[in-house]
Amino acid sequence: MASSGRLKQTLVRDAIRENVDVIEGRLPKGLRRSDRIRRAIFRASVFVIVPLALFLSINALTTGKGERTDVVFVSTPAAVPAPAAAVLHAPKGLEPSLFRLSVRSVVLDPGHGGTDPGATGAGGVREKDVTLDVATRVRALLEEGHLAVSMTRDGDTTLSLKDRVLLANAKRPDVFVSIHVNSLPAVRDKRVVETYVLGTTTDARVQALAGDENRESGYTLADYRRLLEGVLQDARSGESKRLAASVQGGLVTGLKRAVPRLEDHGVKEAPFVVLIATEMPGILAEVSTVSNDDEARRLKDSAYRQTIARALADGILAYAESRNHPPSKRS
Amino acid sequence: MTSKKDVLHVGIDLGTSRSAIAASNGTKHVVESYVGWPLDMVARKIVKKTILFGAEALEARSMLDLHRPLERGLIKQGSAKDEEAVHELLKHLIALAGRQEGQRVEAVVGVPAEALRVSRQHLRGAVKGIADALLIVSEPFAVAYGMDALLHTMVIDIGAGTTDFCVMNGRYPTEEDQRTLTHAGDSIDDQLMKLVKTKAPEGRFSIHMIREWKEKFSFVGDPKQPVVARFPVKGKPADVDITAEMKKACESIVGPIAETMLDLLSKVEPEYQEKVQRNIVLAGGGSQIPGLAAALEKVLLDVGGGRVKAVEDPVFAGANGGLAIAIDAPEGEWEPLGA
Ligand SMILES: [Zn+2]
Repeated sequence: MASSGRLKQTLVRDAIRENVDVIEGRLPKGLRRSDRIRRAIFRASVFVIVPLALFLSINALTTGKGERTDVVFVSTPAAVPAPAAAVLHAPKGLEPSLFRLSVRSVVLDPGHGGTDPGATGAGGVREKDVTLDVATRVRALLEEGHLAVSMTRDGDTTLSLKDRVLLANAKRPDVFVSIHVNSLPAVRDKRVVETYVLGTTTDARVQALAGDENRESGYTLADYRRLLEGVLQDARSGESKRLAASVQGGLVTGLKRAVPRLEDHGVKEAPFVVLIATEMPGILAEVSTVSNDDEARRLKDSAYRQTIARALADGILAYAESRNHPPSKRS
Repeated sequence: MTSKKDVLHVGIDLGTSRSAIAASNGTKHVVESYVGWPLDMVARKIVKKTILFGAEALEARSMLDLHRPLERGLIKQGSAKDEEAVHELLKHLIALAGRQEGQRVEAVVGVPAEALRVSRQHLRGAVKGIADALLIVSEPFAVAYGMDALLHTMVIDIGAGTTDFCVMNGRYPTEEDQRTLTHAGDSIDDQLMKLVKTKAPEGRFSIHMIREWKEKFSFVGDPKQPVVARFPVKGKPADVDITAEMKKACESIVGPIAETMLDLLSKVEPEYQEKVQRNIVLAGGGSQIPGLAAALEKVLLDVGGGRVKAVEDPVFAGANGGLAIAIDAPEGEWEPLGA
């Protein structure tokens, strides 16, 4: 009995020591011998090690504490195949500029189409026509700026949001831009531009807007839950915000001259399905306000649509420029 | 200085499918390891809660963002929501244990060995602000400690996500004393799902029904009675004999478990091998499958025979063990384990 008590004491102390080792960033006992580490690395699948190595090197770059973190990962055994996918998620706070990622390709998504006209305004102007025309013009302008551009539709096609997502993900572009036209029937005098990134909102108007834009989603509720689970704090959100800020800036600068009373509603967050399910940084731009009669009339003018396209393209190009030629802090 | 009275010691078994707590004030609780948040404002109005746990969460799953945070015995890495789910689950358990105002909580949390290897930091993060001090141990170690089976014993903890093996030989188990398999409760469910689907392609049943049938009728070896499940086939309720399917699904874990058991035995120092062989303990939900212990004993005949017995209280064996460790840990040693 007495010896059992002593054994228990030793074991409890060992358990505590192991926990303290982890807290203080040391390799737990039993993992310290280098042969064991080598064996563990050998067993760990390449799927785990490669992204981890990437993560650790970045972590080391950004915090200088790379050697602290490896305690947790080095021993990942290959026995459980599934976690590889889980580990592949980008770690929080990953700074994409460290990779010198460049922006070379864009998918443009003209909102609505086919049986879904989107918002409508004075003189029979329909959102689906405006978004397609503006997107086509933006495509030409971006191609002049040497970006590769694809569109989710280039005609009056009915596409569910799921279709759009599948098309966009298949193209694997660097960024995704969904183009829409706002409608604010409660405040007909307002002419607003705003740009959205994925997020949540408590603003009733934005919730209603998200509801409208999410209508023909093609996703089931079960899909939706799974999609939400996939919304991690990943590397996309920071990039999406940068892109959104650049696009909103382009729109406001470019359109203010044509529409002096334009209201800049800035970059906002809302749970748009197209932004949840697409795999690249993405935004949704509401480039005009069809509920305003003056604006609706002007949308019939191709020169005005070209102005909108120019403003939107300028925003995208400015973002691509900042990514392709980031200002160096050193020289 | 805190006096012993102001401390609530708890042992928690954080499992893939169920989580249990045993506290020094005598309370014991078990919850299904589900955490759900209402999907939107409408759902929140209907369920009238901001967060739901266990069976209640499972019931309302169509309205919830439902998480089973320790899927496959791990906290899904990179998923802030799953970390939050673990946090909320632990908070809920400690609240159930009836912590008094101002009472210090010292917790020992037993987790699947795999989670311990991979998500240790995540686990510590998840407990921040819930307990005052936290000691994380592997689940089979907690079980062995609670049973006082610390010498020449092998614990085989058959959970939902993983089966964890641990040889206790008088020292704190290191990596070479332990193994983990993904052949466990969930893999039986997956098998059974496939087999019943093949048997009754027109039948309609969910994974939750499959789990229920397994809980009631699982067996290894010869069936004591036919297993008949009732579910709609072509819209009409039908009684379908799934005896053969149940047997096949349950037996799918026997081979891998036997193989790992023999492998670990072969690594035990020869002079103790026989003792360990006679001291094999099955824990976890899977330990209760009728016929499983006998099937493993049959395998042991090839190496000279042995004894395999299931723990008496598989639901609380881990939590009880955790509580025993918490009570035994010297008060001063909790200091560096602040959470
Ligand atoms: Zn729209």
